[in-house]
Amino acid sequence: MLGQYLPLLALGALAAVFAAGSFLASGLLAPRRPTRPKLEPYECGIVPARDTPERFPVRFFLVAMIFIVFDIEIILFYPYAVARGGLGLFGLVAVMIFTFAVFESFVYLVGAGALEWGPPRRASARPGAVSAERTSASTVRRVGLEGRRYGAPEDESARMAPSAGGPAPGEAA
Amino acid sequence: MILAADPLLSGPVGLPEVLIVLLKVGAAFAFLLVSVMLMIWFERKLLGGMHQRMGPTIAGPWGVLQTLADGIKLFFKEDLIPDRSDRLVFKLAPYLSLVPAFLVFVIVPLGGDFAGGSGVVRWWGRDTYLQVADPPVGVLLFLAMSSVAVYGVMLAGWSSGSKYPLLGSVRASAQMVSYEAALGLAVAAVVLMAGSLSTHDMVLAQAGPGYFGIIPSWNIVLTGFVPFVVFAVAGTAELNRPPFDLVEAEQELVGGFHTEYSSIRFALFYLAEFMNTITMSAVIVTLFLGGPSGPVLIGAIDWAWGVIWFSVKLFAFLFGFVWMRATLPRFRYDQLMDLGWKLLIPLSLGWFLFLAALETGRDRGWNLAVVTVVTVAGFVLAGFLLAGALASARRGGDRFGPGGGGDDGDDGDDGDDGEPRDRVLEEAG
Repeated sequence: MLGQYLPLLALGALAAVFAAGSFLASGLLAPRRPTRPKLEPYECGIVPARDTPERFPVRFFLVAMIFIVFDIEIILFYPYAVARGGLGLFGLVAVMIFTFAVFESFVYLVGAGALEWGPPRRASARPGAVSAERTSASTVRRVGLEGRRYGAPEDESARMAPSAGGPAPGEAA
Repeated sequence: MILAADPLLSGPVGLPEVLIVLLKVGAAFAFLLVSVMLMIWFERKLLGGMHQRMGPTIAGPWGVLQTLADGIKLFFKEDLIPDRSDRLVFKLAPYLSLVPAFLVFVIVPLGGDFAGGSGVVRWWGRDTYLQVADPPVGVLLFLAMSSVAVYGVMLAGWSSGSKYPLLGSVRASAQMVSYEAALGLAVAAVVLMAGSLSTHDMVLAQAGPGYFGIIPSWNIVLTGFVPFVVFAVAGTAELNRPPFDLVEAEQELVGGFHTEYSSIRFALFYLAEFMNTITMSAVIVTLFLGGPSGPVLIGAIDWAWGVIWFSVKLFAFLFGFVWMRATLPRFRYDQLMDLGWKLLIPLSLGWFLFLAALETGRDRGWNLAVVTVVTVAGFVLAGFLLAGALASARRGGDRFGPGGGGDDGDDGDDGDDGEPRDRVLEEAG
């Protein structure tokens, strides 16, 4: 039975060899003149002033976790779909019960706002200024708040990348 | 349960079998590369036409060789690996993107006579299918490979050590993962109708005489059109093609996950992207439009007609993808996630159960009208539940983040400001 996977192996190897060969050819043909600005992270032509963020909105992880639930459901659907004829009414009822359990938790998640991605609807109604920090509720980083009473994380100057050639723009002030 | 398999490799595998396999693999490899070349040219030319410009005209007749020229040029470009990057993963990511793009193609039946025979062709005294491989897991291979491709995108963005690729790859992973659920559920409906995971069996099951002489017995008809639409939409999102190309939204993210990639590494990502477009179209054709099945019109070479029908159907989808790119504006991110999670997934889930109930009812001699009525009632109930949950989410704010949750003082006007979502839900229910 494993012989059926022989073409897969062959094509996979061929594709990998093709990619490796391309890299090899490029290595032989392409010039190598690395300079400092070329090796910096891309920043539309200006000197990068801020490090890559290390944190992400929790929502992305939440989506991955909810996906696992549905993935498990799908994994259990496939054997049912293949063997439906033999399972009859029992199989149908079992799948229905299982789907109900998943759907019910899905409804709870939707109700709890786990899948709300839109901008905050009443942002203006909140008291005071908004923190410049990113939260799980908002991925919008509000600039222009540095140095004011709200927002502006303290370690901001420390995180400004000194790796650039000259002084970072923030340090001039 | 039928575990279909390519008859070529079912018996003992000797030298002739290996040679045939190598021939097939080489042909598929060449076909993919050439078709990607033509597809990129076709897309640029067609977009040019839709924008009232010329498109590529210089390299070769009608600019056909433009892609080749671009590819050769990229070999001579400097290949940069940024200082901040994780070098090993940075180099690994293009492989993880390219190899799955090639591998998905093996399950696509490309030709063969499905109307008269069972799609078997005879080459040099060996029976085989006109597809590279027909593993028993069949369509699961397609889902598995599209999952692996997420790793390529994710690791490319993560290892670049730069902010735009990182943002792009996180977006891409969330998007691909979200739509993969809808994709999987739509495929499950097809598996339910075919009773097998093998793509060859699926095409065979669709090759029936049809109804009233004109309506073919393809899965697009048998599964009631909804899984086809879900699959087409989710497939477009899975490919990150417009209108779901937030991953490469130039205005916000420069080039998305491959911003830091240059030279041939970028070319391989580009290659994989277009290869995936072609393969996804081929998979849609296989799952829902009967693959290579079609009438043998004239001539005696019956398997060649399969190839012709397959190409015609494939081309229609490729044209559609380009057309969508020229026509539709990009989705907003929350609209994208709402469409995937709150419409496509519940809809395809409900539709799968509906189809399962119909099939079981047909086996056991139930009144199918009653089954339909009960299903509609179930859909309405589920729709109301979901609508209630959505209203509650809008009222209660975000319980998963700080600052939300507590404030539900002034929600008097909430019923009116979420019209797009309400409309979406009515369609679901």
